[in-house]
Amino acid sequence: MTEPTAVPEPATVAELQSLLRDVDYLAERGLATAAFIALQMGRPILLEGEVGVGKTELAKALAQVFDRRLVRLQCYEGIDTHQALYEWDYARQLLQVRALSERQLVEGETVGKLYSPEFLVERPLLDAVRAGDQCVLLIDEVDRADDEFEAFLLELLSDFQITIPEIGTIRAETRPLVILTSNRTRELHDALKRRCLYHWIGYPDAEQELAIVHARAPDVGDAIAGKVVAAMNRLREMDLAKPPGVAETLDWVEALSVVGAGDLDVDSAADTLGSVVKDRDDLEVVNDDLATIVGDG
Amino acid sequence: MDEAAATLDRLIAFGQAVRDEGIPVGSGDLITYCDAFSRLDAGSLEDLYWSGRTTLVNRRDQIPVYDRVFERFFLGASEPGDDRRLVPPPPAGSDQLGALDVPDNEPGDEPDDGRQMTLGLQASDAEITRTKAFSACSPEELAALRRIMSRIKLTPPQRRSRRHRRDVDGRRIDMRRIARDAMRLSPDAARLHRTTRKRRPRPLVLLLDVSGSMSDYSRNLLQFAYSTRRAAGRVEVFCFGTRLTRITSSLDRRRPDDALRRAADEVLDWDGGTRIGASIDTFVRRWGRRGMSRGAIVVICSDGLDRGDPALLAKATEQLSRLCYRLVWVNPHVGDATDYQPTTLGMMVAAPYIDAIVSGHNLESLEELVTTLPTLSHQP
Repeated sequence: MTEPTAVPEPATVAELQSLLRDVDYLAERGLATAAFIALQMGRPILLEGEVGVGKTELAKALAQVFDRRLVRLQCYEGIDTHQALYEWDYARQLLQVRALSERQLVEGETVGKLYSPEFLVERPLLDAVRAGDQCVLLIDEVDRADDEFEAFLLELLSDFQITIPEIGTIRAETRPLVILTSNRTRELHDALKRRCLYHWIGYPDAEQELAIVHARAPDVGDAIAGKVVAAMNRLREMDLAKPPGVAETLDWVEALSVVGAGDLDVDSAADTLGSVVKDRDDLEVVNDDLATIVGDG
Repeated sequence: MDEAAATLDRLIAFGQAVRDEGIPVGSGDLITYCDAFSRLDAGSLEDLYWSGRTTLVNRRDQIPVYDRVFERFFLGASEPGDDRRLVPPPPAGSDQLGALDVPDNEPGDEPDDGRQMTLGLQASDAEITRTKAFSACSPEELAALRRIMSRIKLTPPQRRSRRHRRDVDGRRIDMRRIARDAMRLSPDAARLHRTTRKRRPRPLVLLLDVSGSMSDYSRNLLQFAYSTRRAAGRVEVFCFGTRLTRITSSLDRRRPDDALRRAADEVLDWDGGTRIGASIDTFVRRWGRRGMSRGAIVVICSDGLDRGDPALLAKATEQLSRLCYRLVWVNPHVGDATDYQPTTLGMMVAAPYIDAIVSGHNLESLEELVTTLPTLSHQP
């Protein structure tokens, strides 16, 4: 029953790593292993980690590698089934009721038509169940949703099926690759975790971060990339309220190139600091020590 | 025994070793682990490591434990002597705290809301002790007080939720109901239905000082929090002394007294003094900024005797006040004074950022907290 996917699944972790590298996503061994097992076993992955270390990016990269559609569900407080699963198109249903009643149709026909899939508005989870292995489902920042919503996800994540009373049960014929991310604002329920593979993404080491910069911003020179990465590592050691992530590294490199800075020095760093440090108290601390941070001290 | 069976035995033994160190590993997890490993390169140490890391571990704080077991089990590292911090032995001299356990009436045993009373209707023996400072109560009186407290809930003020409920005066048109009516009756019989946003209690975050004399007062507050949590409110609980730790999840499994005692073992260096500033700062960095306290009522219970840098306390309190909805400080030293002026340095630097300071030194003053909380949103 499995439809052949466009790209064959990798046979080893190293192969997956190299496929991800082809789309400029550098996954360390542990992350690649988690993704590999998830693909092989059809299990969801739960990713936790610091802000801006590429949790969401992994979903995008995997979608790109396997030429699958990315279906994204951004969670927020109060999200419910009508925003996550499906909703009936009430306005169209009303128009249809009006039209049908004027033409005096038999009732059975009316009801049948009103609850046909053509009046169904698909939300991300239903979309993903229907698409099966043709998509990557990203359930982003699941910790922002209420815990009742987690209980609802349990059913979906273990059986990959959705029941719509008027239509019936829709089961995923093949399993979509599911990635959940959490920023740990609250502890997720153990029952949800048990259904997922777990991986914690930390900051990359300097060498790997440099490789990421080269992959994502190939036009940037070796010298300036090295300096930015070194400065970033100093910033992360500085006990800031909001330590910058890899996303900020890439933003900084881009900002420097936009202002035409050929080198990272105190002046160009001061001009572009807003792309890296986004907290007033942190800015004060960093400004006091800028020379050391950029390596001029 | 053939090689595959031997490998399987070894994997299961490893899973059990991980479980013995306190990481909850169920049979299902073991099956997943073995399945995952079978799909990887059996000869690779890296794959051996990561197959377990992704399937047996599901919290960040379990990672060091896993690493330790992995090293011991597969790499033959020696056991680090008696330095097994993971499972601390039960404290021997626990009678001091044990005397304060609620003797016959655990809060978890009474889920029915019908038994929740207001303080004014308490049993008569409570009247005697209502205004008596906790520090002056006998263990029997304290036990009686705590039985009473377990029936009172902290009620945080409400906020609008994103969910809707029916309301004839609501602002939003309820298309779902109108469409259903039209189909059920006739298109002409359909009336306009409306909804309005539901209201739900704001989250409550407790930061409890468990050092020295403060532990008794904190325990009293925790009792409230525990009842609130059981009543479905969203409550997060942290304890601090020299460090800060989160005990919310252990409250689900343990009695509040045990949870607090374990936390105290973890966050207290006996001669280290209290570092309020550093603890609040840790909270702000690790949880507050990520959104835990947004829109929440944060209650700090501490005497304000800070051994750390006052500048850090001021900065952390200021940041916290900007990351939450209202900041309440419970300080038993406030006592019965109606015009309390902060006397300790810690309270002085923190005071400008606090929305309300209440005392928690006796039952009556905790009652004040209970009544203050729901009204906080009406204050300027």
